[in-house]
Amino acid sequence: MITSRRRHLRRWTVPVAAIATAFLAGCARNAPQDTFQPAGKDARTIDNLQRWPFYAAGGVGVIVMLLVIFTVWRYRDRGQAIPHQGHGNPAVEIGTIAFSAVLLASIAVPTVRGIWDLAETNDCKMTVNVTGQQWWWEYAYPSQTVNSADGTSTELKAPIVTSGQLVIPTGQCVLLRITSRDVIHSFWIPKLNGKKDAVPGRVHLLRMEADKPGMYEGQCTEFCGLSHANMKMDLIALSPADFAAWVGKQSAYAVAVADQTTAAGKGEAVFKAQCARCHQINGLVDTKGNPIIAAADQNLVSGAAPNLTHIMSRTTFAGATYSLLTEECRATLLATPSESFGAAYLGGVSAGCLNVVELKEWLRNAPEKKPMYPKTNAAGKGRGMPALGLSEDQIDQVVAYLKTLQ
Amino acid sequence: MAIIEQSPGSLMPTPAVVGPKASLGAFRRPMEEHGWRSWVFTVDHKRLGLMYGVTAFIFFLVGGIEALLIRLQLATPNGKVLSADAYNQMFTMHATTMVFLFVMPMAAGFANYFVPLQIGARDVAFPRINAFGFWCFLAGGLFLNSSWLLGGAPDGGWFMYAPNSSAMFSPSHGVDFWALGLQITGIASLSGAINLIVTLLNLRAPGMSLMKMPIFSWMILVVQMLLLFAVPVITVALFLLSFQRQFGATFFDVSKGADPLLWQHLFWIFGHPEVYILILPSFGIVSEVIPVFSRKPLFGYPMVVFSGAAIGFVGWGVWAHHMFASGLGPVSVTVFSLSTMLIAIPTGVKIINWIMTMWGGKLRFTTAMLFAIGLIVEFTIGGLSGVTHSVSPSDTQQTDTYYVVAHFHYVLFGGAIFGIFSGFYYWWPKMFGRLLNEKLGKLNFWLMVIGMNLTFGPMHILGLQGQPRRMYRYAPDRIGEGFFNLKFWNQISSLGAFCLMLGILTFIVNVIRTTRGPANAPLDPWDARSLEWMTANPPVAHNFDAIPTVHALDEFFHRKYAENETTGEMEMVATAEDVMRAEAARADHDIALPAPSYWPLLLALALPITAYGVIYNHILIAVGASLVVASIFGWAIEPSYADPSDHEPPADGGTSKELSSVV
Repeated sequence: MITSRRRHLRRWTVPVAAIATAFLAGCARNAPQDTFQPAGKDARTIDNLQRWPFYAAGGVGVIVMLLVIFTVWRYRDRGQAIPHQGHGNPAVEIGTIAFSAVLLASIAVPTVRGIWDLAETNDCKMTVNVTGQQWWWEYAYPSQTVNSADGTSTELKAPIVTSGQLVIPTGQCVLLRITSRDVIHSFWIPKLNGKKDAVPGRVHLLRMEADKPGMYEGQCTEFCGLSHANMKMDLIALSPADFAAWVGKQSAYAVAVADQTTAAGKGEAVFKAQCARCHQINGLVDTKGNPIIAAADQNLVSGAAPNLTHIMSRTTFAGATYSLLTEECRATLLATPSESFGAAYLGGVSAGCLNVVELKEWLRNAPEKKPMYPKTNAAGKGRGMPALGLSEDQIDQVVAYLKTLQ
Repeated sequence: MAIIEQSPGSLMPTPAVVGPKASLGAFRRPMEEHGWRSWVFTVDHKRLGLMYGVTAFIFFLVGGIEALLIRLQLATPNGKVLSADAYNQMFTMHATTMVFLFVMPMAAGFANYFVPLQIGARDVAFPRINAFGFWCFLAGGLFLNSSWLLGGAPDGGWFMYAPNSSAMFSPSHGVDFWALGLQITGIASLSGAINLIVTLLNLRAPGMSLMKMPIFSWMILVVQMLLLFAVPVITVALFLLSFQRQFGATFFDVSKGADPLLWQHLFWIFGHPEVYILILPSFGIVSEVIPVFSRKPLFGYPMVVFSGAAIGFVGWGVWAHHMFASGLGPVSVTVFSLSTMLIAIPTGVKIINWIMTMWGGKLRFTTAMLFAIGLIVEFTIGGLSGVTHSVSPSDTQQTDTYYVVAHFHYVLFGGAIFGIFSGFYYWWPKMFGRLLNEKLGKLNFWLMVIGMNLTFGPMHILGLQGQPRRMYRYAPDRIGEGFFNLKFWNQISSLGAFCLMLGILTFIVNVIRTTRGPANAPLDPWDARSLEWMTANPPVAHNFDAIPTVHALDEFFHRKYAENETTGEMEMVATAEDVMRAEAARADHDIALPAPSYWPLLLALALPITAYGVIYNHILIAVGASLVVASIFGWAIEPSYADPSDHEPPADGGTSKELSSVV
């Protein structure tokens, strides 16, 4: 009898243990958006906070399971008499309430402290305006002087506007002022902090702080329509010195292509005719020498399109959905140790590293690469980039021109 | 007065002659007892309960197919099964269907069928309103799903956040269908809630005080109270949305100064009580099943009642925990974190009460009992992951990821749906006089348990490792490294979904086999405890020959068993048949039952006509509105009991058959 029961138990032990091991050891390694690998102060605050509730919940879960298993086994129908029809036991019930109340209190106290710690903004000495729209993020750096803890001081004399990749200096809190131009989005870099919704008409504050230089990936997490899955963002953390160098590069205007007969020169003309309607390139001038100001507000529901002045300084395009780097170059960049990451990133997209294939596919028919609603509504405005109907030559020329936007 | 036949006789109704006295000429009451007219115009709570159940189950299959398509799409990175647009429609309709067209109406079906039986009543308080509720639900469900064929289903998610739901961002008619369809099913819920509350408060059998009421009926009472106050909130929100889309109102238009968070607050003030609306009926079902198969009364019955009511109250104070990332500010976040933790206490009490009911019992592991135990286990997992959400800073990491999807599927599939299946197996003999096959039932149970853990278990990992929800595709560069990467877990999850499908197919096979089989159910197959088992299987039209007088909670059990005064043990003193015979001996004569009616159906049909009119052509609104007015007048002047001229004149006194007009 006992042996057969043991054998019975043993038959179950192996698969149960296998499943349990698979779940415990079964997490992906180095998942880019892992919420258990904090890389900054705020994510660490959250991580420290969430450990105890997870352990407590797990412990309670195991106790309840064991209780159910024991009860089911012990009180199975073995021909015993019909039990006494007792209606309860106040001690057990009050005990349950007291036990859960104490356990919850042990969770509640640190939770409340964590909520207020994460709402603190006084120590953030730098600000970036983060704006979501269907289906990409814009980052606008107001003019400000950034004084880092290591003594570096970086002056942003004029505002910088960029998209796709948010660049911040390491070792200090950066305050994001988050809003939206159309529907609700949500900004999330899991390794650095929790989410914060981007709500049109409201500005929400979110702390961001990274310990080490590197690339931290995230994506929009509030369902925002057709291409919600394709609305991503990277946060690039650079050392304060590298950040100063980045600011210097971003502050420069694009230089017109000298020779209009080269592919890049022809591409500039195509860009002016087709792309400059929506996309701003700082420094681009018309034939009279007047600056070309993109009229995205006339053509798009959100009223904005990514500023492309320094597109080759970023490593992604199309709302950070596609990599501007070829697969090998991207892997190399991601594998770069944090000490040399800044230099590698500041190098931008070199000629040999450009992901020409997907960039061309994008220029050929953008809505096929990333579902969008380019069709204009009654007000003549679309949502997203249309297929421009460029010839293959024109596409090559535009690519050649974009390569000059370092 | 309608006379229910007491003596056996010819089963076939004799065609009646439509006499000049017949009420309302062509709209003579449809008194048939057989054939399709007897179902379509019925006001019998049992028939309506079955119609609710069958319709809801069909919608369950529809929602299930939508779920399978979602899991097929996500089985690989960059899946190609569905386009982005189709995927967005699919997950919107999966949730909308499962919540509004399956779990809610299935609970309404169980409530309709069993509340009157459990409290010893012959029908609900307002039988025609009951019929109206069912037809509204069906009309709303069909209307909503007709959007698939009319330019695309709603694509904004079941939460339909503004301003993504406005015509600018969702130009197809899908969201219009959603708003108007849910408005119609909302009428069903609201009228059903009023009906059941009045029934539960006024029609209980003599002697059944509230604290002697079966626990399922109690949980239904709490749920109807929640519906009564929650449905009006979503009604208002849906009107705002419809007016914004149809008539250019600006409730959620930011450029006109609106705050889109208004919608979120309205939606979740409805939406969180809604969660308890979905789960409490199943809590009620397993609170019936566990005592029966443990042969013990429910442990701490008053505590289960009060914790159910407490969940009902505290459930109103936690809505903003769906909005921890929406920028509420630390004061609100603190308050809602703490109230969310608080609601874990009454829920934990229920779990312990069920386990303690089994403790010291004499457990029989029927399929119904297995599903009930399954609910305890799976719901506990879902409840505990819920506690981790209440820690709002970590919720800002988890919200809108698959971790949340895992959480609420453990609660809703492992909770609400396991409870519903437990109810199927437990009450099937009561409803159909046939026992579902236990072998197939156990296969059904294990396939569903394994399937749900394979499907939803890996979602915990997916979410905590950063996979957001509502994405039609995920990129291969974000799945991490190693064998157990996120692609692997997505594949396991998709595999599990097909295992679930097999489980549900097993149930369908079981139902078909059972329906073809003989009426094999004994009078009291489970040795049950409550009043619904104190009548035939299936019950006669008037439920009870005599309205029972109640002396105790678990009245039926205490009529069968008594404590032996010398040994102190429970001993059977009467069989179920004995109890029934004693009741039959004091049968009521001349039982009056409410009569069938055309009007509920006509009134409910007018609503989708009006709704199509709102979307396509305002003339149809006038057509629908005329039908509404006509139906309401017809209903108002129609007596709730049939006029004698609706029947053939009784041949001799008051014991004649009820007759039908077959013209």
